[in-house]
Amino acid sequence: MEYAQPIIDATQEIFSSMIMLDVVPGEPFERGSEPLKNSISGIIGLAGKSKGLLGIHLPNSMALSITTAFLGMEVEEIDEDVRDAIGELANMLAGSIKTALDPKGSEIQLSMPSAIHGEEYSIDCLANAINIAVPFALDGETFLVELQLREES
Amino acid sequence: MEFAKKIVDSTEEIFNTMIFMDISTDGCMSEGQEILFSNVSAMIGLSGNFTAMLSLHCSGYIAMEIAGAMLGMELEEIDADVKDALGEIANMIAGGIKERFASEDIKLELAIPTTVSGKSYSISSPTRSNRVIIPFDLVQGQFFVEMKYSLN
Repeated sequence: MEYAQPIIDATQEIFSSMIMLDVVPGEPFERGSEPLKNSISGIIGLAGKSKGLLGIHLPNSMALSITTAFLGMEVEEIDEDVRDAIGELANMLAGSIKTALDPKGSEIQLSMPSAIHGEEYSIDCLANAINIAVPFALDGETFLVELQLREES
Repeated sequence: MEFAKKIVDSTEEIFNTMIFMDISTDGCMSEGQEILFSNVSAMIGLSGNFTAMLSLHCSGYIAMEIAGAMLGMELEEIDADVKDALGEIANMIAGGIKERFASEDIKLELAIPTTVSGKSYSISSPTRSNRVIIPFDLVQGQFFVEMKYSLN
């Protein structure tokens, strides 16, 4: 679980500095491929010598309240603004985690973020990658930040 | 930078040499056309001189047909084998695109593939990004290879 701390540090930093919200980390775990329901996920690839994927998975209601806090404007449905905001959130989290994992800045490059949204979908973890997910609590709800990493063999 | 040609050439090469399925395409999707309803999307990020996300989208049935041809076995549900196979195909297509850009001195690195699946989902990229979508025809139906990119 050596990757849990960088995830916790990055998430707390981004949420407190960019969204002005304090989030409380829970116990890290390995996420299986159980489906996500009524959720939105921001994902971004980590490319280079260390390869991976960073994802943030939020129930719709949390995505709306976080986007409202992030953009400083009221959003009521999962529209383009919310999708862009959640993609950007994944991008910022990955940027912060990259700084911790790759202090020299030469081994990891970030790709383009995507947002996935739906009533029920799975985002599969690769069998040959390290997977670690950290739940975060905010106002009685929980979202997940997940990191998959594969070291270059 | 001829994104479409690189996507078509790389996809055809992988299907001809690794999966042994005949595919054909009329090229880029034209304005107003939409991607058919998909149940499986294999995605992989690319980064370097520009950033991108490459995705392969198809129905569950086509996903099982493609994975079955690649693995040489009958597949009856969208299980881990199907998802891994589609992720690996996205990885190989992205690898071919990376090589084609490298020959023009444009450097790219690959992330790891991930497979999204489900009854209903949508995938979006930042509104400021560009995209190219190529529909491919198989005997059994269609699949789509999409590349979203941002040149800054």
